[in-house]
Amino acid sequence: MKAEYINPFIESVDNVFQTMLGVIPKRGAPHIAGADDQAGRDISALIGLSGKARGMVALCFPTKTALSVITRLFGDETTSIDQTVIDGISEFVNMVAGSAKAKFNTDPPIDIGLPMVVRGSNYRLEPPSRAVWLSVPFESELGPFVLEVSVQIQS
Amino acid sequence: MKALIVDDSNVMRRIIINGLKELPNMEFLEAADGREAVEACNTENPGLVLMDWNMPNLPGLDAVKAIRGMGKTMPIIMVTTEAEKERVILAMQCGANDYLIKPFTPADLQAKVKSALTRFG
Repeated sequence: MKAEYINPFIESVDNVFQTMLGVIPKRGAPHIAGADDQAGRDISALIGLSGKARGMVALCFPTKTALSVITRLFGDETTSIDQTVIDGISEFVNMVAGSAKAKFNTDPPIDIGLPMVVRGSNYRLEPPSRAVWLSVPFESELGPFVLEVSVQIQS
Repeated sequence: MKALIVDDSNVMRRIIINGLKELPNMEFLEAADGREAVEACNTENPGLVLMDWNMPNLPGLDAVKAIRGMGKTMPIIMVTTEAEKERVILAMQCGANDYLIKPFTPADLQAKVKSALTRFG
C-alpha cells in the first residue's frame, strides 16, 4: 500500500465528522498498524473496497467515543451499545469510504460493499499477506478513535 | 405530502427525517431496501422519494428503474456516498431527478428537496 493512499481517507474523516457532528478531529501520525494499536477498541465498523481497488477501511472506537458520537448525532443521551450505535458507526465508515474512493478518480469508480461491525476488545484486524494496515489515531472532543486502511489500487 | 425515505441504515433514515421535519406538510414513510421501496411506491404513491444506492436485496438504482417502469413520475433524489461523476450521470439516466452526496447538512438536504419539488413535483 502506498503511503499517500491514506490521505483521501484522512480528508474524508475530517469532512464526515465536521459535516455530521460539527467536530474537528485532531489527527495523530499515520503508521503501520501493529499489536500496540489494539488497545481501547471496543467496536469497529469495516467496509470492503473492490473493482479498481481492493482493500478494507475500518473506524475503531472505544465504547465511550461511540456513545458520544451517537449522542451528538441525535441529541439524546445514548448509554449503551445498541442497534442505533451499530447502525450509526456503520454509516460513518460508509461515508468515509465513499468520500475517499471518489478522490482516487479511477475509471470505472471503485466499488464499496455493505459495512459490518465487530464488537469486543480482544481481536486484531489482519490484512492478507503482502498487504498492510495503515493506522491513523484521532483525538476529538467526543473521544479518541482510529482510522485503519488497507488498500491496493489497480493501474 | 408523503416522502419515502429509503436507506438500509436506520440511523440515516432518522437523520434524513430529522433534517426534513421542519418542512411544512411532510409525512414520512420508510423503506430499508430497494424492494420495500418499490412496494411502497406501488401501494402508497409518495410524492417524493429519497433513495440510497448501496442496499441489500435490491440496490437503489435498480429500484429507481423499477419505479419508473411502473409509470411513477414523482421526484426521486439519490442520497448516497457514490460521489463520482459517472455514478451521478448513471443515476440520472436511470430516472433519478437529483443527487445528494453523503455527508450532508440539514440545509443541503432541505435545499435539494425544495428544488426537486419545485422543478419535478
